[in-house]
Amino acid sequence: MAHPDLKLPPPFDELLRLHEHEIMRLCLRLTADRQDALDLFQDIWLRAYRAYPRLSAAPNARAWLFTIATNRDRNRRRDRMRRDRIFAPEPIGDHRAAAANDPAALATHLRRSIERLPDHQRRAFVMRKLGGLNYEEIGTALDCSPAAARAHVFVALKKIKAGWPS
Amino acid sequence: MNDADLDRWLEKILNRTAPAAGEIARTLETAHARLGRRLDAVRREPAAVGIIASPLGDLLAVVSDRGLAMLKYAAMPDGKSLAQLLAKARESFDLYLDDVRIGPVRAELERFFAGDLASLSYPVDLRLAGEGFQRAVLRLLRKVSPGATISYQALGAWAGAPKASRAVGNAMHTNPIAIYAPCHRVIQSNGGLGGYAGGLPIKRKLLRLEGFRLDGGNKLMGAVLGHRGTGIFCRPDCRAARRTDRTQQLLFCDGYHARRAGLRACKICQPAEAANG
Repeated sequence: MAHPDLKLPPPFDELLRLHEHEIMRLCLRLTADRQDALDLFQDIWLRAYRAYPRLSAAPNARAWLFTIATNRDRNRRRDRMRRDRIFAPEPIGDHRAAAANDPAALATHLRRSIERLPDHQRRAFVMRKLGGLNYEEIGTALDCSPAAARAHVFVALKKIKAGWPS
Repeated sequence: MNDADLDRWLEKILNRTAPAAGEIARTLETAHARLGRRLDAVRREPAAVGIIASPLGDLLAVVSDRGLAMLKYAAMPDGKSLAQLLAKARESFDLYLDDVRIGPVRAELERFFAGDLASLSYPVDLRLAGEGFQRAVLRLLRKVSPGATISYQALGAWAGAPKASRAVGNAMHTNPIAIYAPCHRVIQSNGGLGGYAGGLPIKRKLLRLEGFRLDGGNKLMGAVLGHRGTGIFCRPDCRAARRTDRTQQLLFCDGYHARRAGLRACKICQPAEAANG
């Protein structure tokens, strides 16, 4: 019997199939190498599976997924920072290489710039510019208004540009 | 530099540094095998979910491979919404909508509400029922047949904890499988109805359906006392019954149901006549 309140989100595997491509693209952008991207990707989806019972049928699965993704990315970098206190840290992005427009150096520099952003700006920026979410979705994910989400992205973008080698 | 200029500037960088489509596809391929193994290790069991309409209102039913895992009133008086019930079930199961899988439970309940009180034979899955004590209590409770009731205190004593009537009350309140784990058959020692998670009107209806008479207040009337230890049932005013251990008592709606539960009539007070009269 149909019941108006009996709503379930799609099966997890369908969510996986629908979004794995964009999540992987994001992972490759946020990490330095393929191995890290694989680890992050797996981490995101395992965490998503565990939290899936708490996702209601509401159509905000994508925003929810990107929230998990940016969380896991932050935790990953936090762990790496702890490790780096013991081992030698990775060198800060190479300004000259970035200025020389080498794609790999540009990617590294962009990643470093994103990592230096405050948390909410980083999330908003990653969701909008790397994930392609709209401001409505970002507002849902960050629990703020779409206008505030837009402001976060703009400030983040200005900061990144300001720190870019000319 | 304005908004649009900034966007264009970033767009150029993003284009130059974008991961190639081939790289995404290749990495996904590697990721699939690894993720699949890890997911399989933590996967929840699948279970069917559906709504069963009943004279008591809509019931939310969850059926796993082991049996009926949840049967709850879709409109709970304590404000728990259907969404919350679903979220609880989804912590343990990957739910899918399937009316066919819950069909047998629906058929049994239809017969039950039509008066066939022995119809509820579908197996139950007590995984949503909390920890050891709660589960043990629910398992014992399933032995309390239609037409009988047991007190919170007596049920606790049966489970080995005669002072745990409050804990029994909690176990009843969180009972995931209404009607099949008949928490409506648990009442106060003095014959008072106690509480019910689905609301007292529903508890009253269920007990009436099972043959009990209730006075205007919340008390069971005209019942027969059974004794789990001796296997004998008496009139409530029997002098032998007054001496028995209250924690072993069951309250039956009449002698017929006591006999069906395997008890014999007391030779002192001869309650068979009492029940017939």
